[in-house]
Amino acid sequence: MNSAFINCFAGEWIKKRRSFASWLVFAGGLFVPFITTIVFIVYPKQIMSLHTSKNFWGGLFEHSWQAMAFMLLPMGIVLAVSLITQLEFKNNCWKQLHTAPASFSSIYFSKLAVLIVMMLQLFILFNIGIYLSGIFPAIFHSEIPFPAYTINYKSIFIENGQFFVLCLPMIALQYLISLQFKNFMVPVGAGLALVVGGLIGLSWKYIYVFPPSYTALHFLQVKSTTIPTHNLVNWSLGYFIFFTIVGYWLYISKKEKG
Amino acid sequence: MYCVETSQLCYSFSSAVPVLKNINMQVPAGSVYGFLGPNGAGKTTTLRLLLGLIKKQDGDIRIFNKAFKKNRIEILRRVGSMIESPSLYGHLTAVENLQLLQKIYQCPKERIQHVLNTVGLPGTGNKKASQFSLGMKQRLSIAVALLHKPDLLVLDEPTNGLDPNGIIEIRELLKILNEEQGISIIISSHLLSEIEKMVTHVGIISKGSMVFQGTLKDLINKQQQSSSLVIETNNIEQSREIISAMQLNGIIDNNRFILPVPSRETIAALNRQLVNNGIEVYEMSPLRKDLETIFMELINH
Repeated sequence: MNSAFINCFAGEWIKKRRSFASWLVFAGGLFVPFITTIVFIVYPKQIMSLHTSKNFWGGLFEHSWQAMAFMLLPMGIVLAVSLITQLEFKNNCWKQLHTAPASFSSIYFSKLAVLIVMMLQLFILFNIGIYLSGIFPAIFHSEIPFPAYTINYKSIFIENGQFFVLCLPMIALQYLISLQFKNFMVPVGAGLALVVGGLIGLSWKYIYVFPPSYTALHFLQVKSTTIPTHNLVNWSLGYFIFFTIVGYWLYISKKEKG
Repeated sequence: MYCVETSQLCYSFSSAVPVLKNINMQVPAGSVYGFLGPNGAGKTTTLRLLLGLIKKQDGDIRIFNKAFKKNRIEILRRVGSMIESPSLYGHLTAVENLQLLQKIYQCPKERIQHVLNTVGLPGTGNKKASQFSLGMKQRLSIAVALLHKPDLLVLDEPTNGLDPNGIIEIRELLKILNEEQGISIIISSHLLSEIEKMVTHVGIISKGSMVFQGTLKDLINKQQQSSSLVIETNNIEQSREIISAMQLNGIIDNNRFILPVPSRETIAALNRQLVNNGIEVYEMSPLRKDLETIFMELINH
């Protein structure tokens, strides 16, 4: 890999320390599992129904992904991506970055790579959180049995992988938008409008062309409430490449770089 | 040899209003080049063009004798800069701000503490940059610019917002960097008095055009050339005849002769002639324009 890119990535990684975006990833990854844990402790019947089902961990995974796939994950992407790019605008640092001996492509792609790795962190935290939300209620509540069931790691890994790929076009699109506007409210407003638009249009027959709805659409497919008509993973990868290239072109074409 | 050279550099934000008109900037290597001009004259635009922060429209830019566009990364590796307000990540400490650039510049880690000591910020610990005073932010920005041991420093009004002590300290620091480490420095300001004590060369820009460029000595010579000699006597008519006979041209203003300063010998001879002809000389004194006046005249024409 290009050493200039690695150096830029290392610099970008330091930048996110103590930033609101990194706290958001931490809180966003553990929010749903935390709420789930509280609900299971307060209303044990809910987790008991999972214990009586055939697949405890599969059911818990699905239960946790519901809120995440529809609203929290797309909204989290909008906020985290906007906050990371806002670090340069807010601190007046684009000029510092653009007078450093780094190519524009290293700067652009290292920032994007940091965003993707942050998303990976969120997924890891979320999955750890899901596991703990299955364990903790048994520790705090004597009536709840300990979930000593086998975990189907392969299935969970594949599902996570699919959700992750489905997030990529939204990351690239939000990154593209956030790089264009100094005012934080513009990319956040645009991103949230896209997310809400995706939810409103979920029943539209051509919704598969609208990337902000992909995580919700995939969840519905997993729940088998909609029949998969298109391969969303392929569409996601296509959109991701497209938005990344368009974003890069817009970025290098900017007349003023700080 | 010039470390920065521009030729016929033009720029306009909209087609109607040119911001820069044929700027030919020549910064000798090893110099401290004071880039002067009033607010809105085009200083920052010129410096941003030099650093590639805005796209060049017309003209050429050569830094270290290399075309900027083709050698951007190689050139930026040797340039440290601070344009307008400090560029610092407020949520990071001074060390972290330098660390992230140390990664990009790939310079030794020891440089971080070294530059912090150089700018007088050795122990800010866990204090975030957003909690720094403006003076501390300016110092840290200079530390950022020095981190990779640049050969050229481009500083856009680095003493903005500093108290008099801070201004003196920054001035002394830049002098040391230039004299001891041989770093060429371009420093912009709208106040001549602020930088005249440290610059070796001066470029004055006004309304997008370079109205003066040369050594500080050239500017001082210009000051002396534009000085006048004031003579006041008890007989203005007879004095005029004597002055004319000595082939000196002057004007009468408020019952006084004002003429370009002649040589010291001519002044002595003129005085002798006046006294020998029975004229009482009340005053014979030079009327010097200070550098600030010259500067104001240059930017107002």
